[in-house]
Amino acid sequence: MKKRVLSVLLATSMVATMAAGASALTVSAEEKKTIKFFHRFPDEPYNSFIESKIAEYEEAHPDIDIVVESAQNNPYKEKLKVVVGGDDCPDIFFSWCGEFTERFIREDLILDLTPYLEADTEWKESLMESQMVNYTLDNGMVYGIPFRLDAKLFFYNIDQFEEAGVEVPTTWDELVEVCEKLQEAGFTPIAYGNQDLWPSAHYIGTLNQMLVSDEVRAVDYTPTTGAFTDPGYQTALEYYEKLIPYFNENSNGITADMARSNFCMGMGAMYYAEVIEIPYISDPTSGLNPDLNYGMFKFPEIEGPGNPNILTGVPEGFVVSSKTEYPDECVEFLKWFLGKEVGTEQAQTIGWFNASIGTTEGVTDQTLLDAYNVITSAEEMGPWFDNALYSTVCDEYLTAASDLTNGDVTPAEAMEKIQAKALEAQTLAAQTTEE
Amino acid sequence: MRTKKYTPYLYMLPGCAMVLLFVYIPVIANCVYSFFRLSSYSSGMKFVGFDNYVRFFTNETFWIMIRNNVLYCVISLIVQVGFGTVVALLLESKLAGRFQNVFRNIYYIPALISLTAVGLMFTFVYEPNLGLLNSALKALGLSNWTQSWLGDSKLAIFSIIAMSQWQFTGYITLLMVVAFQNISTDYIEAAEIDGAGPVRRAISVMIPLAKEQLLVCSIITIIGAFKLFTEVYSTTAGGPGNSSQVLGLFLYQNAFLHDDLGMAAVTGVFIFVITMILSIIQIKVTKSGEV
Repeated sequence: MKKRVLSVLLATSMVATMAAGASALTVSAEEKKTIKFFHRFPDEPYNSFIESKIAEYEEAHPDIDIVVESAQNNPYKEKLKVVVGGDDCPDIFFSWCGEFTERFIREDLILDLTPYLEADTEWKESLMESQMVNYTLDNGMVYGIPFRLDAKLFFYNIDQFEEAGVEVPTTWDELVEVCEKLQEAGFTPIAYGNQDLWPSAHYIGTLNQMLVSDEVRAVDYTPTTGAFTDPGYQTALEYYEKLIPYFNENSNGITADMARSNFCMGMGAMYYAEVIEIPYISDPTSGLNPDLNYGMFKFPEIEGPGNPNILTGVPEGFVVSSKTEYPDECVEFLKWFLGKEVGTEQAQTIGWFNASIGTTEGVTDQTLLDAYNVITSAEEMGPWFDNALYSTVCDEYLTAASDLTNGDVTPAEAMEKIQAKALEAQTLAAQTTEE
Repeated sequence: MRTKKYTPYLYMLPGCAMVLLFVYIPVIANCVYSFFRLSSYSSGMKFVGFDNYVRFFTNETFWIMIRNNVLYCVISLIVQVGFGTVVALLLESKLAGRFQNVFRNIYYIPALISLTAVGLMFTFVYEPNLGLLNSALKALGLSNWTQSWLGDSKLAIFSIIAMSQWQFTGYITLLMVVAFQNISTDYIEAAEIDGAGPVRRAISVMIPLAKEQLLVCSIITIIGAFKLFTEVYSTTAGGPGNSSQVLGLFLYQNAFLHDDLGMAAVTGVFIFVITMILSIIQIKVTKSGEV
């Protein structure tokens, strides 16, 4: 009998300890307001900058405890999707504008920031309208605040351009001519690495903007109506195909980072880059080649039904979870963290601008200032193509572009596959939105 | 006496509860999910019948994945189990002599490195311009042989498979060495007295006596081939195009990249069925459940 009692006790205690593990976590840290903050900049010096600013904020606000977590780009996307729907969702997190965040908005997971901006007009007016548009829905709901401005520009090696005797191209034909001459002079015209698949999306997205009209693109980039039957999409792939002979060899076997390194080391006269990459290249301490003599130009114009005035690239920023216990505190923190004061320091120390007006003070790097001027004077910004599309369509597009780069498919074959996926996506997207 | 009858079951209860909670319930839930359309963050789910199954089997990557998983499986059997056993025999023979331990460790070390680290390391080895492999080929005057190892649609999966062989052959070797060491020396000495040379001894005595272990190694390798994930994820992520896509990665990408948990569940069911069939064959063939 004693034995039986003992064994019952043992068994129940084992089960009990299992259950206790779950409940013990939630008890502590009652007096402080804990805000979970999730970002995607674990690299240095960016991570340290974010950490130091958060420490500064916590010191000024003893009642707030900010718990920071971070992950690299691709793992970040995956992790976020898992936590965002659960009870463990971070209060403030990094999120790309457009379809990436809009899918969460459809599930009512993102806090509407509009009332906060309306209540504090000073804050609202301190932010650049041209950038805030990207974090605003068609119905006027503002769902995020930009952390860093970005745009896609061709970086070019001034020395190699001079040596080959070529000028900055402004049209497509000039670009091809420049590539030809660079090749004749013994240079690799364009450094390109598409192993991670997304780099091709930046080329194709930009080409689509020029070759497909705004109205058609708007219809196709919406998951429930996308068909991609406009001939302009195929033309865009054909233009992309024309560039392939000017890329370095084996571009599918090279990562984007490696392509950037190659450009910095002179193994590529041009490189289609994001301006946030400037610090990676020319930061005096952490840059790959601070002495590199390089400039920037906009993607050369192609005449077509599209809109050549669009500058590819949208800002990246932070959003607040609709499930947060402390919405006011979260917004208050973002107001400071993404405001002018921190923004100015951010531009000086890590070379990234946020969307507050007037953060260039103390910035000495002329390339950075040039980039800032290009972005702030742009008429309209275009989305990151891969973030603008429904995920399965995006996957098909990137796969097709990868095959096209290797010469395994033709643009026509690629478009056929993409169109089929887009039709399938219409049903899938409709099934999700019905709920 | 009655108490004794129930006590063992009582001890088994927590274990059973855990297995039920962490293995059987998820497996059943997975089967249920495979009939629904849902994402990891959505609140609702929609019943779509066999739609996910139809999409899975008609997907054009389906046959690419089967081909890649089977390729991995066959090559691994030949290299890891076949070649690994030969290496084990050599290590156990007089050839290895007193360096036996050194060799064994050298062969085994790659198996100790984490899969992700190996993947990252090999992206550098395979890098087309500066990578170790192409540089070595150039240094040997074999510039014609240089390739874009991970960037060529026809080569990518083979480059990944080669990486795995490098990593795991030593592991199988070690398992086989242990099996050979368990063979009583009486048999080997008897064969020697009968005039059997080293090759004859290996074929007629050592391998038959290590048959059970050989079978276990084969099953581990085959099942591992169908659960293949990290090697591909950390190198090509299925690219270029879909040329190196495998079942495990397809599952993962659907779940966390394409917000299509239903499709991921179908892939899970498919992998489950394949590995279960293989396991049943194993149990039948060895006439035991031991691994």
